Amino acid sequence: MLPARASTLRNFHRVARSFATVADTAGVRVASVDHGQPTSSVTILVKAGSRFQPKAGLAHSLKNFAFKSTAKRSALGIVRESELYGGVLSSNLTREHLALTAEFMRGDEQFFVDVLSSFITSAKYTRHEYEEYVRPLVKAEAEAAVFDPSTQAIEHAHALAFRSGLGSSLFAPTHNTITVEDIKLYATSVFTKDNLVVLGTGIDQTTLSKLVERAFASTSSATSSSQASKYYGGETRVESLSSPQTVFIGFGTTGAPSADVAALAAHLSPTPSVKWSQGTSPIAASIPKDSSVQTIHLPYSDATLFGLLVQGATPASVKEAGKVAVQALKSATSGIKAEELQRAVAKAKFSTATNLDGRFGLVSVLGPKILGGADASVETSLSSFNGVSASSVSKTASTMLSGKPTFVAVGEIGSLPHADELGL
Amino acid sequence: MLFGPLGPSLAPYIKPSRSLYKWIKPIADWYANAAGYRKYGFKYDDLLVEERPDVQRALLRLSPHEKYDRAFRLKRASQASVQHAPLPREEWTKAAEDTRYLRTHVLDVVKENNERTMWDTIVIERK
Repeated sequence: MLPARASTLRNFHRVARSFATVADTAGVRVASVDHGQPTSSVTILVKAGSRFQPKAGLAHSLKNFAFKSTAKRSALGIVRESELYGGVLSSNLTREHLALTAEFMRGDEQFFVDVLSSFITSAKYTRHEYEEYVRPLVKAEAEAAVFDPSTQAIEHAHALAFRSGLGSSLFAPTHNTITVEDIKLYATSVFTKDNLVVLGTGIDQTTLSKLVERAFASTSSATSSSQASKYYGGETRVESLSSPQTVFIGFGTTGAPSADVAALAAHLSPTPSVKWSQGTSPIAASIPKDSSVQTIHLPYSDATLFGLLVQGATPASVKEAGKVAVQALKSATSGIKAEELQRAVAKAKFSTATNLDGRFGLVSVLGPKILGGADASVETSLSSFNGVSASSVSKTASTMLSGKPTFVAVGEIGSLPHADELGL
Repeated sequence: MLFGPLGPSLAPYIKPSRSLYKWIKPIADWYANAAGYRKYGFKYDDLLVEERPDVQRALLRLSPHEKYDRAFRLKRASQASVQHAPLPREEWTKAAEDTRYLRTHVLDVVKENNERTMWDTIVIERK
């Protein structure tokens, strides 16, 4: 009796956790899950990331323009009213998507969907708001990014790896010529019905559909497009006074992201499963104490950037850790053991699944799939790992290594290693 | 708006009535010319009392071009004042040029301030 009930419960959760149904509401795709959380969230995911911007920094400026005055409410009104409801509004930018999110108590959906949709449909983009609120914020964020070596390394790596499109930076240039008119024009070109998807968690699908239908009745339909990504690679060195010393060794693949790369990343990742332990990764045992290696796996719709972020207190330790990391990657090309593969796949599967447990992961992983018209369920995300074999992983590693690597050094460039010194 | 940044005005009450407007308009035009600020190259909005926070905030919202022109008019007029003579006739502000470039910004700021006061003093009733 008890086991049977437990299994039905599990089935229920499996069905409920993924966006099983995607309803087309007045031309806008709406997907929602509800598994009884005390709070709801609604995210409008728009294909408006930095990849689609016609001018550097537009996507970043548009992100910071979120929740400023619209035809319905002033910026102050939006802030004060959502405070009264006890909700949180946030906007998040990735290279491909702009996510506008509202998190709120159950029952307040009417107000918050209206706040989100009125920004899409009737934002005013006033010049004084740009000057007074948006531009200082854009500038501050861009400057903060400059002082974070890992962010800087990954930004430069994207620029080297993909040049245009995915290569364009998430951050606006410190000195730019962006005007409100530019932002307005960009917004009207990206805020279209086919370009966005509304995702809800903790909210009933029919309720959300009804609200969305009313809100987006007059939005036009067109999709933003950019040319297909191409991988280039290259080497750059950036002088920086901020620590730690950082080297990024990246490899790109084009085409839909594969589970093999995720498994390879899990195989190499020295992050231990038990806190304060060393872990079983080939890298963890032999890197110097004052250095760290992270695997970076960034899947996009038509390309993947995979890499090793090596950081250390001194250039010498970075050099040593970098050699170890490259060696580990090279040894993966000559085949990995069955048990290592099993471990890597389990690790990758778990991190995918645990990511999908949370609201943010659900939206950021499954949302783009819905936008791309792919099957957006937890099952398909996990079952892609079934095809991973030891030979496919080592083949992926060797194809990556045979291409031109993306090498970025940030810090004391006089003494940080070059790509050939690490054995690339 | 008696003590507002734009000063007292009967215009909102006169404008809706077409006949009253037709009677008053020529007098208003005559008065604007007689006031003499146009002889010094000013626009009416240059004369707004700017020593108050709302007008200061509105001034920040002018476009760079408008800001430059405003500063130019103020300098030219103070030079004319030093010389104790109005500007040459061709530099006088024409009636068509005498636009209310600052008024909308001032009204926006006033509206925002009112809204802020409203939100600061709002009474919420739980239902």
